[in-house]
This record gives sequence, C-alpha cells and structure tokens, in this order.
Amino acid sequence: MSDTSRRSFIAAGGVGVGALAITGAGAFTASASASATPSADRAKERVVAFVPDHTTDELHLLVDEREVVVHDRDLVVRLLNAAGSR
Amino acid sequence: MSSHREAPEISQDPAADNTDVYAFVSPDKPDTVTIIANFLPLQQPYGGPNFYEFSDDVRYRIHISNQGTAQGDLIYEFLFETTVRNPDSFLYNTGPIETLDSENWNRPQTYTITKIENGRRSVLGRGLPVPPVNVGPRSTPNYGELARSARRLRNRTWFFAGQRADAFNVDLGSIFDLGALRPFNEAHLIPMAAMDGVNSVQATNVHSIAMQVPIDMITRFKNQPTNRFSPHATVGVWATASRRQSRMQDPATGTSVGTGPWVQVSRLGNPLVNEVLIPMGQKDRWNAGRPAADAAFREYVDSPELARLLPVLYPDVFPNLAAYDKPRADLNAILHTGIPRGVVPEFQNFTGATQADMLRLNVAIPPTQPEDQNPFGVVGGDLAGFPNGRRVNDDIVGIELRAVAGVTIPLVDPEYTPDETASQLTDGTQSAAPGTDSFPYLQDPSGGYQTRPGTVDEGEN
Repeated sequence: MSDTSRRSFIAAGGVGVGALAITGAGAFTASASASATPSADRAKERVVAFVPDHTTDELHLLVDEREVVVHDRDLVVRLLNAAGSR
Repeated sequence: MSSHREAPEISQDPAADNTDVYAFVSPDKPDTVTIIANFLPLQQPYGGPNFYEFSDDVRYRIHISNQGTAQGDLIYEFLFETTVRNPDSFLYNTGPIETLDSENWNRPQTYTITKIENGRRSVLGRGLPVPPVNVGPRSTPNYGELARSARRLRNRTWFFAGQRADAFNVDLGSIFDLGALRPFNEAHLIPMAAMDGVNSVQATNVHSIAMQVPIDMITRFKNQPTNRFSPHATVGVWATASRRQSRMQDPATGTSVGTGPWVQVSRLGNPLVNEVLIPMGQKDRWNAGRPAADAAFREYVDSPELARLLPVLYPDVFPNLAAYDKPRADLNAILHTGIPRGVVPEFQNFTGATQADMLRLNVAIPPTQPEDQNPFGVVGGDLAGFPNGRRVNDDIVGIELRAVAGVTIPLVDPEYTPDETASQLTDGTQSAAPGTDSFPYLQDPSGGYQTRPGTVDEGEN
C-alpha cells in the first residue's frame, strides 16, 4: 500500500537516510544527520529505499509490508550524491 | 502445462509457480466444493538432500469471487514456516519419519491459514502440519497414512498442504517441438511416424494446497443454490503467489530477506491460458495482474495464435479453421465470461460481462460420480466437468486443443462446420496418477527411492 505524505516521509526518512549512510556516508554532512529528530512513530525495523527515476523528486521506502512514497527533491538529490560517491 | 513454467519470470521461481487449479463439487460430499492449487512444478522425487517444499517467503492465496465482479470476495491465505531441528546435519531426516512430530525429521514445515472476507482477517489455524516429502521406504514408511494424518478441519473446512503426485498429463516434449502431436505426426509440416504420446509429467510431483469447503460458506448469500440458472449459482476461483517487493541477499549468511508489500508473481485460473494464449512479451504482466483487469488480454483469447498456427503446422487438415476470421466468441465465453444460458442445454456459468480469467463453477450442478465422468467435461456432455470448474481427471489438453481447433465455434456460430480432425485432436497422453475418490483427490507423491530417472529415446536423431 502506497502512502504519500510529508509526515510519513519525516518518519521513515530518518531511518532510510541512516541505512544509506552506511555505504554512502560521505555525501551526508554531520549537521544534516544530526538535525534529524526521531519521531515517536518512526519505523523501527529494516527499511529499503529506492529512487525509481533520478530526475524526479520521488522516493520509495519499503518497510514491513508497506510501501511509503515521499516527494522530496532535496532528499533525492542527497541520496543520489551519496550513491555516486566513491 | 497447464501452467508449469509458463512465463519467463516465474520459470525462475519454482516455489511460487502455480501449476494447476482445480475446483469442483465434491462427488463424495456434494454439499462441499473442493479447491486445489498446485505449485512447484516437475519435481524429481529423488531431489535431495534439500527436497522440495513450500517457500517461507511466498504468500499463497486461493481467491473466490461470488458477486460477479471478478474480485476476490473471499480469500484463503497460506503462509509457511520451516524449522531446522539440527543445523549441524546435512540430512533431511536422520531416521524413519513415522509421525508428523518425529524428531528424525530435520526440516518440518507448518503453515498458517487466514480467511479474508469483507476486509476482515480471521486466522483459522496456526502451526498446521505439512507432511514430509516421500523420500523412500526407509525414511517415510507408510507414507499414505503419514500424509493423511496431516489433514486438518478448521472452520468446517478440511485443509491439506503438502507434496502430491502431479495428475496432469501432457506431451511437453512433442508439443514444444514445433507444435507436434505424436499421434498426428504424419500430418505435421515436418512429418514423422505416428506414435503414442509421452506424458512429460509422469512420476513428477507438485506441492498442493487443498481445501474442501461447504458450499454455503462460499456463495454470495451463504446458501447452497439449487437453481443452476441463478446468477448466484456460479463462483469464480483462481490462485496466486506473491513475494515481497524487495529481496536482498545477505552476503554474511548467504540467505535473503524480503521487505515491503506483497507483489503478485503468479496467477492461475483457467488452465493453459497464460501458457498457450498469452504471448511471451505479456506473460509476466499477466501473472502480476488481476482477473478483473483481463480486458487488456482479450485480444489473445479472441484471436489465439495457436488457432492460426494449426493450419500451418498441419497443412490441409484445418481448412475451415484457416478461413474463420471472426473473433472467437466461443473461447471468450469459455475462458473470460462464462457460458451464458441458452448456449449449452441445461447449463450456464456466466458471471457477467467482466472479462476475467477464472475457473467458473456452477455449484448448483450436481457432481458426476467418478465412474460416470466424461474427461471431456461439458464438451463431452458431462456438465460437472471443465469448463464448469475443473476436475482432476478432466482431459484439459484434449478439451482445449479441440476448442482452439474450432470444435466449440458452433456453440456461438451455428453456420460454422468444424474440420473433421478437430474433434479427434489429442496429444495421446494419459495421467500417470489419476485423481482419487476422496480428499485431497490427488495420489501420494512418487517416492525418491522408488522412482527411476527417465530415459532418452534417440528417435530420429
């Protein structure tokens, strides 16, 4: 089930960024990571994030049996930067 | 066939590959319907030490439509869980498995059944046993009794999930060698000597999910219809398998883990539809789709490639079929809408105008007892057989070959005369494991020890 909302993005995005930071930490500044505040209803399990089209603002987050679709060009670009880092 | 390895994607994922679906009013319990969904095709019985089993990562479902909209109004969901008792042994079993709780069985599997109706989920059973595969006389003695002990009654419904013999029969080796039917070899474009058919699934096994449910639990008004012409007498049935949207390999353990929504990867209602009618470039999409959206595939039912190929592969045998250029309303009725009243005397299984691939079972038509069944079903005058649902012993290849070749066109177009050979078509095979007379109606699987690998006939080359 897709769920597009800013609130969902905020909840799930923190975990997604955290997961990606394991392999692409260079693209995330310390201040960006530090500014994220965990929310009470954030995901507390494995999250898979993917960007189906690098030219758009769409980010898909897979968590448990759900798919959350968020729209945030800034986050997508940061993920692309992370993915492109060596 | 009927849906073994029928599409490119699912051929790479046998545990989710739905091979056959059966739905029939139970001859020995005519107030019930039996539905069987088979998965995991063409199992070699001796395929150890990691024998075949349901996948813990696949969601198996049986769908029933009872409101004429081709939606899953009633869904039975099956999720499996495998336990490894001794990870330090490479063996499936360390001694004879004489009971389902035998400590000698190193890899027991259980399952959970959930019923979904009107959006409500009800767990009907947890930890239900799957019997072991039929390893051989030392490992699984008294296999029949062991398997029977795995049947469970929940919510007035009998369930069984486990390995069974594949009752289907088809000459895959010949049919996919340029559409050849061995008994008609001499008439083929590339002629060879005629011979009997060879059943390619002989001695192979499948994994079956079977249920025997009271009719008054699956019909729209929760009753047992007696008027076969009532629009509520027919239910639609199909089965699916789904996997999580994302699957990631863990290099540390060599295993994978799924995340995200369940995504359908296999679907089966009518036999042979995706296998034979849907073109290669659409097969995977068909497997991922819903029956209610099958209008997108109507052109392949109304104008099947096979009907155009038969006159080419068998020159001068099908002149009337070759000349027939109308949409195949007969096939559309049989496969996509059900047969309306007035087409076949005393019969209908019409579910409305929605184009949808489902087995359509008119539950008000009494079952034919096994000794009186005609394997050609409705075409053979037996209204309790395919395409009124599907029984284990219905000769699906024969029925559909003849239907595609034009035998059923006169039902909707009385001016058409079928070619003489059309009503004789067969691949020349018979089931090696015909259906039985009691639930789950499929024979015990072939044993690993008892089965000899096939032979290669050098034949013409």
